[in-house]
Amino acid sequence: MIYKTPFDVIVCGAGHAGVEACLAAARMGSSTLLLTGNIDTIAQMSCNPAIGGQAKGQMVREIDALGGEMAINTDVTGIQFRLLNESKGPAVQSPRAQCDKKAYQFRLKHTLELQPNLQLFQATVTGLIYKDGKVVGCRTSLDIDFMGQTVVITTGTFLRGLMHVGQNKNEGGRLGDFSAKTLSGSLLEAGIELQRLKTGTPPRILGRSINFAGLQEQKGDLEPTFFAFHDTRDPVDPFHVEQTGERRIGWKPGSEQVSCWMTHTTPESARIVRDNLHQSAMYSGEIAGVGPRYCPSIEDKFVRFADKPRHLLYLEPEGRNTNEYYINGLSTSLPFDVQLDLVHSIPGLEQVQLLRPAYAVEYDFAPPTQMFPSLESRKVENLFLAGQINGTSGYEEAAAQGLVAGVNAALKARGAPPLIIKRHEAYIGVLIDDLVTKGTTEPYRMFTSRAEHRLLFNHGSAELRLFEHANNLKLLSDSRLGRISSKIDRIAYWENCLETHKTAGGPWADAIRRDKTAAVLPAAFMAEPKEAREEVLYRVTYRGYLDRERRQVEKLKDVERIKIPSSLDYLAIPGLRRESALKLHQIRPQNLGQAGRISGVNPSDISILMVLIASALRAEKP
Amino acid sequence: MSFSGDTIAALATPVGTSAIAVVRASGPQTADLVRAIFGTTPPPRLAQHAAYRDRNGALVDDVLFTFFAGPNSFTGEDTVEISCHGNPFIAQKILGDLFARGGRAAEAGEFSKRAFLNGRMDLSQTEAVMDLIHARSERALAAANLQLRGALGRQMESLISQLVNVLAKIEAYIDFPDEDLPLEGRQAVQDQIAQLLIGTSRLLATNQYGELLREGIKTVILGEPNAGKSSLLNRLVGRDRALVSPEPGTTRDYLEDRVVLGGHWLRLIDTAGLNQAASLLEKRGVDKTFEQAAGADLFLWVIDSTGPLPLLPPSLAARMTPRNTVAVFNKIDLPAAPRFDRLQAFPFVNISALQGVGLEALQAAVIKLAESFHVETGDELVAINARHAHALEQAKACLVTAGQKIASGESSELVASDLRVALDAFGQISGKIDNEKILDQLFAQFCIGK
Ligand SMILES: Cc1cc2nc3c(=O)[nH]c(=O)nc-3n(C[C@H](O)[C@H](O)[C@H](O)COP(=O)(O)OP(=O)(O)OC[C@H]3O[C@@H](n4cnc5c(N)ncnc54)[C@H](O)[C@@H]3O)c2cc1C
Ligand SMILES: Nc1nc2c(ncn2[C@@H]2O[C@H](COP(=O)(O)OP(=O)(O)OP(=O)(O)O)[C@@H](O)[C@H]2O)c(=O)[nH]1
Ligand SMILES: [Mg+2]
Repeated sequence: MIYKTPFDVIVCGAGHAGVEACLAAARMGSSTLLLTGNIDTIAQMSCNPAIGGQAKGQMVREIDALGGEMAINTDVTGIQFRLLNESKGPAVQSPRAQCDKKAYQFRLKHTLELQPNLQLFQATVTGLIYKDGKVVGCRTSLDIDFMGQTVVITTGTFLRGLMHVGQNKNEGGRLGDFSAKTLSGSLLEAGIELQRLKTGTPPRILGRSINFAGLQEQKGDLEPTFFAFHDTRDPVDPFHVEQTGERRIGWKPGSEQVSCWMTHTTPESARIVRDNLHQSAMYSGEIAGVGPRYCPSIEDKFVRFADKPRHLLYLEPEGRNTNEYYINGLSTSLPFDVQLDLVHSIPGLEQVQLLRPAYAVEYDFAPPTQMFPSLESRKVENLFLAGQINGTSGYEEAAAQGLVAGVNAALKARGAPPLIIKRHEAYIGVLIDDLVTKGTTEPYRMFTSRAEHRLLFNHGSAELRLFEHANNLKLLSDSRLGRISSKIDRIAYWENCLETHKTAGGPWADAIRRDKTAAVLPAAFMAEPKEAREEVLYRVTYRGYLDRERRQVEKLKDVERIKIPSSLDYLAIPGLRRESALKLHQIRPQNLGQAGRISGVNPSDISILMVLIASALRAEKP
Repeated sequence: MSFSGDTIAALATPVGTSAIAVVRASGPQTADLVRAIFGTTPPPRLAQHAAYRDRNGALVDDVLFTFFAGPNSFTGEDTVEISCHGNPFIAQKILGDLFARGGRAAEAGEFSKRAFLNGRMDLSQTEAVMDLIHARSERALAAANLQLRGALGRQMESLISQLVNVLAKIEAYIDFPDEDLPLEGRQAVQDQIAQLLIGTSRLLATNQYGELLREGIKTVILGEPNAGKSSLLNRLVGRDRALVSPEPGTTRDYLEDRVVLGGHWLRLIDTAGLNQAASLLEKRGVDKTFEQAAGADLFLWVIDSTGPLPLLPPSLAARMTPRNTVAVFNKIDLPAAPRFDRLQAFPFVNISALQGVGLEALQAAVIKLAESFHVETGDELVAINARHAHALEQAKACLVTAGQKIASGESSELVASDLRVALDAFGQISGKIDNEKILDQLFAQFCIGK
């Protein structure tokens, strides 16, 4: 049967990408449907119960700046907060939080339920419905077809998901879950290419069987750093459902923090791993997919860094109301009996009970160079893809794409131009540009070093950097937009004031640059909110560097503005080198800036395109 | 389409082949550049004679320059053309100075591209311009590849891999703060940056060494009075540069001119004849000959073939070897002249300066020596051009700041920022360096990942 009402936007899969996608679309006023295989696993953290960390933390703040849910959801369900990189400088400081895994999920589920314009439905999507090269809806395992103007696919690791524990194999996108077996075929049928990747996760253990006595404790920060911008947020933000009076799960951010614990492998662990390498799914050639270099299995660590005597492990609690712990650093695909010996070789875990085994999972992903920067497929109109299906890894990467895809699906449904965040504006911009321009051969994770302008990306400025987008698309409530706008003005005012106002010893700014802690600053400035003050101080201290970054950004803007006509036939352009023509033909960049970032395309190719485009423009309007 | 464009500069004539070289700059800062260099902005399109002084006030050359105000110029922007002597060394000096004053090296075909974009060319020329950009860039690429295949490429490769290494180290500590990495040795990083600085400076110094080379291989023409030295000089430079007369002792003071032979830039020096029994005045001329000979790279020993083989003064004989000397038997047009085929000590040629006979053989012999002269200076010799030097200067400045930042304990995100600019500068010489390279190095070096 066909469901009676059609939707503007249908989102398939309620992982971290899916929830942001459907919330964004619904909040923009589109009638939105979220289909997911199991409503009880909405926003489940497949891997470790933590949000944020290097570059990811900044990205979560950017999500908050664009009206997403991940930041606030983390703040109110977080059980430990730490600011990483205190000593490396303000731009690369990143908040990280340990979350209560279940609370995180339940709160998001509740938020979705309360969201106007959003309908939730439990069903597995078995295929897409196409018409004239466009997607028009999806089929489900319940034999109900849903029609929509746009469809966002956020199915994570579930496409032909195959899990490995040693030689044991089970189908599924994650332990205890199903495998989406037919959707891949439907994508292939539409001409979308698929490839395989793999990732892994460590064992979970029972807390009361751990001997904490010899272990080093890692506490949260006394003064926790949060992800959401609480200074500009309304207590009753119409976008954030608090006014409904519903009692959603959660607590005062930063209250009653819990500890993590540190331990390490032993020579005995190394021996166990080495002796059993042949039984590891990854080392015995059972797995075809490529795994991430930054998340190596314990097998990898012992083999590739054989001279490293031991490897650090973190024991992370999965929540307040559970005794389950996650062993961060012990990802493996060894058979269960070997895992058991391995875990028992670790100090503090000698007597430990395993609740769930470690495993590796292989899944299909759609190489992301097949998308426009709007995250719409180039092969199928109105089809958007976000999250792990695009070859990324990580909740934050997924959520960021989900948000952008949701906004763009809503915009597309109403015929408006898409939201494209530039590389110099945010990590989200870097993420999407990297994906659609360079693609990826391993599960892609964000690092601060991927951003050429990371000094502009200090976490506190996310809201300021993305204000224009949020304001243009009304992604935030009017009152919050107003508050951000006046925050921007205050910051500009103080920046200028400190830079120009002379005191006895020269401008205040000079005193700050000499020694931030010793500088005596005007009382009116000290009375500003902490967030604004910190941003002003950041800009003043880093003036020279920030100016250099801005100059570099400015230089690139010209080419960034020159749009490439979508009909351009690269293979027929005289003078273009064959190698470049093929690359351009494959990636189909939207503007000359993006074209220049494709590896192998050189400046003279860009010059040739520039001449061609200018010539076409002149021919149009002489 | 509008461009906020920067100001570009490049050599407009092929390198080292003509008597005059033209350097061209185009872009919004051109008028300011002209004013800063020459003191005035002259009326457009009128060639002006002026002294080109670099930004430190040193005289580079007497030049002719013409200012073209946009949009009535080739590119449609303000443009200046500076004609200097054809010595590539001078043209490179001027280019280098323009870069130091804020210009940037033009890409292949960029002037034509701008001309087209600014509507100075007709639509029908679209394909021609695209072809030109393609052809120029292929040529530039071939030239660059040739250069990079040599010592320059090896040195750049080593600098880049060292820098990527340091950056990977710094980035590892930034991007993986919770990892169990070995203690972060700031001292080690500082040492590595110091090493990089040495390497960069050494490469930059070859700029000065290269300049010496480009200034010309010092080639001294010497021999007995009346042997025909001045006649030979005139033949080689193609005009009547020196006085010639049947009287011995015509040339009293040495004189100099430049010529390009087979791609080598020669400083030719005609000298007073080596007269044993000279007058006081002549004697002073001969002293100067010895002075010139002392700093010579190559010798052309001119011998009147109608006479007996002259003896070389011992101080000269000690300096002259088969690798730096050509014996030139002159006046073979005269009936009395035997053909010389005996001289063992040096490569030799038979010529008539008067009639222009045998000059090809002479040139070939000189080129052969000039080439071996290059090889002799060693594989380590890397002559870099103005564009390279400018990029290396930028890299060096950033390395210096990075080193200071490390030493004064400033945060590593700033150190990394400077090092990245340095890496980009290296990339201007050997091609863009992808970010992935740093990550590759990082994952190869450290055991990352929980
Ligand atoms: C075993 C494992 C290990 C991991 N290890 C790491 C790691 O080490 N580091 C790291 O950064 N990240 C890791 N991750 C990745 C992280 O969990 C994901 O990147 C992130 O959850 C992806 O979000 P997503 O929204 O794209 O997909 P998911 O969170 O996977 O969500 C997909 C959602 O779609 C639903 N769904 C799937 N198919 C269908 C269908 N056909 N119809 C309806 N609903 C469907 C599912 O029920 C689920 O709700 C790991 C994931 C797994 C499974
Ligand atoms: N027949 C003939 N005469 C030549 C040749 N080369 C030079 N002469 C003549 O020899 C005389 C001397 O020539 P110069 O070129 O002045 O000789 P030089 O070696 O410079 O002499 P000084 O400067 O006096 O040392 C002139 O009369 C020339 O015309 C030649 O190849 N053949
Ligand atoms: Mg003479």
